[in-house]
Amino acid sequence: MTETTSHRYRVGVDVGGTFTDFVLSERATGRLAYHKEPSVPADPSRAVTRGMQALLAREDCDPGSIELVVHGTTLALNTTIQRRGAPASLVVSRGNRDVLEIARCRMPNSYDFRAGKEEPLVPRARVFEIGARIAADGTVLETPDEVELAALAERVHAAGVEAVAVMLLNAPANPAFEQDITDRLAARLPELAVSSSTAIWPEIREYERAVATTLNASIHPLMSDYLGQLRSRLTEDGIEAPIYITASNGGTLSLATARGRPIETMLSGPAAGVAAATRVAREVAARGLCDFAGVISFDMGGTSSDIALSLGGEPSYTNRTHVGDFPLMMPVVGVSAIGAGGGSIVWIDAQGVLKVGPQSAGADPGPVCYGRGGTEPTVTDCYVCLGALDPDQFLGGAQKLERDAATAALTEVGRRLGFEGADVAARGAEAALAVASANMASEMLKALAQNGVDPGQLALMPFGGAGPTHALLLAEEIGITSLVIPPAAGTFCALGALIADVKRDFVRSLRRVVGKGGEEVVWQAFSVLETEALEWVASEGDILDSYSLQHGADMRYAGQGFDLPVKLPPQAASAKDTDALIELFHQEHEKHYGFRDLESAIEVTTLRVRAIGQVPPIELPSIAPTSQEPTPTSSRPVWHQGAWRSAPVYRRDHLAQGHKISGPAIIEQPDTTVWILQGWDVAIDAKGNLLVVKPNPNDADEAPRS
Amino acid sequence: MKLDPVLLEILNNKVTAVSEEMGHALQRTGRTLYVKETADFGTALSDLDGHFFAYPRAIGVSGFIDLDCGPTIRAVETIEPGDVLITNHPYASEGLATHGPDAHLLKPYFHKDEIVCFGWTFVHLSDIGGRVPSSISPTSHELYQEGFFIPPMKLLKGGKWNEDLLTLLRTNCRTPHENMGDLKAMLAALNVGERRVAAIIERHGIEAFRAARGDLIDYAAAKARDVLRRIPDGRYHFVDYLDDDLVSPYPVRLEVTLTAADGEITLDFSGTDPQVEAAFNVPTLGKRHAWLTVRLIAFIMTMDPTTPMNSGMFAPVTVRVPRGTILNPEPPAAVGVRHATAVRVNDLINGVLGQALPEVMPAANGGAMVPIVFAEDDHVAGETRVAVVQPMVGGTGARQGCDGVDGRDSSISNLANNPIETIEHSIGVRILDYGVRPDSGGPGQWRGGVGVRLVFEILAESGQILGRGMERFRFRPWGTQGGRHGAPMRVILNEGCDREQELGRLDVLPVQAGDVLTVLMPGGGGYGDPLRRDPEAVLRDVRDGFVSPASAAADYGVVLTSGGLDLGATEARRRAPTTQAKGNGASLDTGPARAAWEAALPGQLVPDVNAALLRTPQAARQRRRREFYRTVLPGLDGSGEAWNRALHDPDLVRSRAEEALQALLARR
Repeated sequence: MTETTSHRYRVGVDVGGTFTDFVLSERATGRLAYHKEPSVPADPSRAVTRGMQALLAREDCDPGSIELVVHGTTLALNTTIQRRGAPASLVVSRGNRDVLEIARCRMPNSYDFRAGKEEPLVPRARVFEIGARIAADGTVLETPDEVELAALAERVHAAGVEAVAVMLLNAPANPAFEQDITDRLAARLPELAVSSSTAIWPEIREYERAVATTLNASIHPLMSDYLGQLRSRLTEDGIEAPIYITASNGGTLSLATARGRPIETMLSGPAAGVAAATRVAREVAARGLCDFAGVISFDMGGTSSDIALSLGGEPSYTNRTHVGDFPLMMPVVGVSAIGAGGGSIVWIDAQGVLKVGPQSAGADPGPVCYGRGGTEPTVTDCYVCLGALDPDQFLGGAQKLERDAATAALTEVGRRLGFEGADVAARGAEAALAVASANMASEMLKALAQNGVDPGQLALMPFGGAGPTHALLLAEEIGITSLVIPPAAGTFCALGALIADVKRDFVRSLRRVVGKGGEEVVWQAFSVLETEALEWVASEGDILDSYSLQHGADMRYAGQGFDLPVKLPPQAASAKDTDALIELFHQEHEKHYGFRDLESAIEVTTLRVRAIGQVPPIELPSIAPTSQEPTPTSSRPVWHQGAWRSAPVYRRDHLAQGHKISGPAIIEQPDTTVWILQGWDVAIDAKGNLLVVKPNPNDADEAPRS
Repeated sequence: MKLDPVLLEILNNKVTAVSEEMGHALQRTGRTLYVKETADFGTALSDLDGHFFAYPRAIGVSGFIDLDCGPTIRAVETIEPGDVLITNHPYASEGLATHGPDAHLLKPYFHKDEIVCFGWTFVHLSDIGGRVPSSISPTSHELYQEGFFIPPMKLLKGGKWNEDLLTLLRTNCRTPHENMGDLKAMLAALNVGERRVAAIIERHGIEAFRAARGDLIDYAAAKARDVLRRIPDGRYHFVDYLDDDLVSPYPVRLEVTLTAADGEITLDFSGTDPQVEAAFNVPTLGKRHAWLTVRLIAFIMTMDPTTPMNSGMFAPVTVRVPRGTILNPEPPAAVGVRHATAVRVNDLINGVLGQALPEVMPAANGGAMVPIVFAEDDHVAGETRVAVVQPMVGGTGARQGCDGVDGRDSSISNLANNPIETIEHSIGVRILDYGVRPDSGGPGQWRGGVGVRLVFEILAESGQILGRGMERFRFRPWGTQGGRHGAPMRVILNEGCDREQELGRLDVLPVQAGDVLTVLMPGGGGYGDPLRRDPEAVLRDVRDGFVSPASAAADYGVVLTSGGLDLGATEARRRAPTTQAKGNGASLDTGPARAAWEAALPGQLVPDVNAALLRTPQAARQRRRREFYRTVLPGLDGSGEAWNRALHDPDLVRSRAEEALQALLARR
C-alpha cells in the first residue's frame, strides 16, 4: 500500500532548442500537468532540474513520490550536427584506411561543384590500419601479433584522442575476432574508451558500421558526463526514481544503456512525438470516432516541418536514414522533413516569383513580429498579419508580437507581387502561406510515395508550436479531410517520452539460403539474438511489467541485389517455422512486385530482433462531457480566401467533451493556436482531442464564398 | 509569362514533385539493380513539343534534362488515351535514346479530349540482346551489334499491351523477365504521374496547367540567361582528347568554340574528330543535346540553385555539331559507350567556360568513370556470375580558393559504390586495398582531388575483368592558372611481383586465381601556382597522406622536418631558380603526352584534316583517318615507348602530316 501511494507520479521531459517541456502524470487519476522551462543550451541539465523543481512545487509533489523520469535529449544529435564530439581514432583492417574518405562515393549535391564532400568523421591521419582481416565467411585470414598491437597502441596514444573505434572488414561474420582485437588494444590503452563495431551494430556495410561505431565513441564521453550530472542533480533534489532516455526507435533505454549506446538516442526527439501520435491515434480509432487507416503526424516548428507515418497502430520504421552528413544504419521511426517552419523567410526572386524558404530567420533575430531586428518576413509573420495569431496571446501572452511590423514587411511583399488596395499585406501573406502549403504538400506526397501510401485514407495529426496553426491549410492542399489535434500539442514529445515502452533492436547479418538446410543456421542465429535481447531487457530495470520480442528478417530471391524486410509473427518465430518465413517473403514480394518466384532459392541476409519491455501503462486523462454550447471568449477578423471573416476565439481549456465548433474559428492554448478554416467542423472527444473534419470535401475546389 | 508569380511558384513545385514521385514509384517497384541501387533511370513531364517542363531534382539520372521527345511523339501517327510509346533507337528517336539498353517510354496524359502533357520515363534495361551480355561493348562498331532496336512505336494501345512487340522483345534479349519487371515499374510510374497531373488540373484548372507548361520553361530560361550573362561577350576556344578509340592507337580530338553575347551562347564543335569505328559515338543528330550540355546544368545550378530544372535552362544555348563527327555520328555508328565520350565533353565545356570565367570554373576532373566488373566462371553450374567490383572515379579539379574533392566525382553521374563486405559475399574476389591514391591530385595553390585506388585478388578459379570507360592514360586531367595536371590512369596486373604487367586500357582481361589487379584512377587538375600554396596546407596533406614528402619538396617547394615545417628553408627553396623553373607559367598544364602531340600536330592541322575527312564518304572515312595517322606516326601503338618514339621529332611529324593532308585533299 505504502509502495503504491509513495510512487504516484511519472515525469516526461523533452529538451528542445528554446524550451524544455515537462509532462507530469498522476498514476491514480491519469491527470496530466504541463510545464515549459526556457532551455539552457550550455548546460541542458540545469533547465531540467530547474523545471522539475518548479513543476513539483506547483503541483505540490514530494520528490520521493516520483516513480519514473523519462528524458528526451538532443545531445547526440546536436553533437553530431555541430561536430562537437570527442576526438576519436578509427582502427581498420589493412587496405581499408579510406573507408571514411571515400564513404559511399556519392557527393551530397551532384549539381553544385562548389558544394564539396562532407568533412570525414575522423581525419585520415587518425585512421590506423592493422593486420587483422576476416574473410566473408568469417575465416580469420590475418591476425596481428603483440608487437603490431603495441605499435598501434603507441600511435593511437600519440594521436591524443579520447575515444577509439575498431571496425574490421567482415566482422559481422566473426564478431568474436573483432572483440578480441578490441580487448587487446583496450588493455594497452586503459585511459581510453575502445569499442568494437560489432558491439554497436553487427550488420554488413563497412562504411555505415564505421560511422555508427565512431559516432558512438565520440558522443560517448559527452553523453556520459551529461547523464551522470543529471542523475546526481536529480538525486540531490530528492528524486531517486530511475531515469530512462528516449531512443530513435520510439522506445526508451535505461540510463546505463543510453550512456553506453548514445547513438541509439540520435533521433529520439521526433520519435517520441511519433510515439505519442501513434498512441493517440490508436485510442481514437479504438473508440470508433474516426474512419482512417492511419495517421500522418505533422510536427511544425521554427525552422522546419517533419512528418511521420503510423499505420495500423504502429509507426513506420526505416533501417536507413541520415543524420547531418552521415548515414545511420539502424531502425528508427521514419521521419521526413517536408520544408517550411514558422521562421522560413518569404522572399521574391529576380524574376518576381514568390518564394518561401529554405532560409530561416531562426530564433534570432526571428520573425519581424518578434521585434528583435528581423527585417525579412516569415511564415509566422503571415499568421500574425492575417489575424490567425493574437499578438498578445503568443506563448500564453509571455511574448508580445508586433503585428504592425509584420504587416509592413508583408505589404512590401504584396506590392511586389502586384497586389493593390487596402489589404496588400494580407494578400501577400495568404499567397506566401499558399506557396508554403503547396511545397509541404508536394514533399509529403513524395514521402508517402516512397512508402507506397496514398494520403486519401489518412488523418493528419499536427503538433509542435505551429503545427495546429498550419494544419488545415496543409490538409486542404493535400486533400486530407480529417485531423486529430491532441491536447497540449506543444509538449507532445514529452508526453511521447512518458508513454513509451523500453525498446532496443538487435541485428545480425548472415547470408543463408533457407529451405535447403541453411535455415538451421538462421534459427540458431535467431536464438542467439533472442538470448542477447532477453538478457538485456531483463536488466533494464524493475519497473518493467513484462517482456516481448519481435522478429524480422531481410530476405531476397537468390541473385537479387536488394532485400525486402519481412516481419515474423511470434508463433512462427517460436515454432522456428521455416515454411511460414518463406511464405511471408513470397507474400511481401508479391505485394511489392506483383509476382512470386517459386523457382528461385530464397536467401536471408539480415536477422532482426526487437526487445520490448512494457512499462505499466498510464491512462490518458479524460475531460468532462457537456451538453452546453461552447462560449467564445472574443472574436476577431481573420483573413482567408481573399476576405476578412469574423472568427470566434475559444480557449482550449474551456472546451469540453461533446462541444462542436464550425470554422472559421480560432482555438487558443498556451503553447499553440489552432486555426479552423471555413468549411471545417470540430468535435471535442472524451480525451480532449479536437476531431476536425471537412463534411463536404468538394468545397475545397470552389471559388471562395463571400 | 501568363501566370501570376504565386501560382507559378506553386505549380513549379507541384509539377516537379510529380516528376519526383514518378521516380520514387519506379524505384520502389523496379526489378533490377540498375533501378534499385544504381538509379540509372529517369522520369519527367514533357510538353506537347517534347521538351521537359518538370524534371526531378534529386532522383534518377540528373543529366537528361535536355533530351528531346518531340521526334518520338511525332513519329507516331495518332495518339490516343491509354497509349504508351516506346523507343530505344538512337537514330530513329533522333537522340532521345542514346544507347540500346535505355528504353524510353512516353504516355500521353489527357484532360477530356486534349493531350495536356506527356509522362516520360527511361530505364537502363539489363540486356537488350546483341553480341555481348548486357549489350554494350566498346569494340562494337555498328548499331546492329548492340542489340534489338525499337523505333518509336506503341508499347500499349488503348491500355492494352502490344503483345507482338513484347514477344519480339522477349525473344531478342537475354533477360526477358527482368526487362518485363522494369517495364511494368515504368508503367506504374507513368500512371502515378497521370493521376497527379489530373489532380493538379482539378485543383488549379486546365487553363493554369496549360499556361504553366510554357511559363515554367520561360522562367528557367530567364534564370539561365541571367547566369550565362556572367560570361563576358566574346569567343572562347578549348580542345581536349580521348586517349584513343580502343580499336586504333590515335587520340580522339574534341573541340569547341563558345560564342557569348548577352547571355546567349553558341557551342560550335567544329574541329572535332570523325566518328569512330567503336562504340564511343554520341548520337546527338547535330542538335542541342543532353550529352553536350550536361556541364551547363552544373554551371547554372551552382550559380543560381533556385533555377527550375527544365528544358528552359538551355533555351539561350545554340549548338553546331558537324555531321559525321564522334559527336554527331551517321547511322549505323555504334553508340554503346557514349558516356565515356560525354565525360570528356564535360571537361571540354568546363574548360571553355574556364577560359571565360577562370575565377569560377575548376580545373579538369579526373575524367574517367569506370565500373570494374568481374565475370566469374562458375565451373560447377557452367554459368558466369557477373558483379561490379567497384565503380571507380577520379578526384575533382581544384578551383580558386578551394582544393578538389578527394576520391569522388559526381560530374557525370553520382553513383554509390558497393560495400566491400557485400562484394566479397557475392563474388570470388578479395579487396586488398580500396582507398585514395596519394600524389595523384594535380599540384597547385589549390590541389586537385586525388583519385581512387583499388587492388583486388581473384579467388575464383578463372574469369574475366571488364573496365569500360578507362581513360586519361595519356592525356592527363589538366591543371589551370599555373596549377599542374593530375596523375594519369594506370592499370597493373600483379604489381610488385615478377609477373607484373602494366596493362593500359582494358577491353576484356582473362584472369585466374591468385591474379591481383591494381586500378589507379586519375586525380583532378590543380589550380594556381603550387609554390604559392600555404605551407601549412602542404604539411596537413603530408600528415594525412594525400601528398608524399617527396612531392611536397619537388612540387610545392616545402621543406619538412621531423617536427613539421621549416619555413625558412621553404622560403629559400621556393625562391631558388631551379624550383621556379619547374612551373611553366602556362594557364593550362596538360601533361607531357598532349604537349608532345600538339607540338607535332599544331594549330589548325588536325581540324583541317578532320574537315577533309568529313568530306570523304562515311564508309571510307575511318580507313583514311587510320591511313593518315599510320603515315604520319608509323609504329605507334598503345605503349608509352612507341608514343615517345613516334613523337620524338615533332618537326618530322609535322612535315609528314602536312604532306599527308595535301594527299588527303587531293583524293577528293
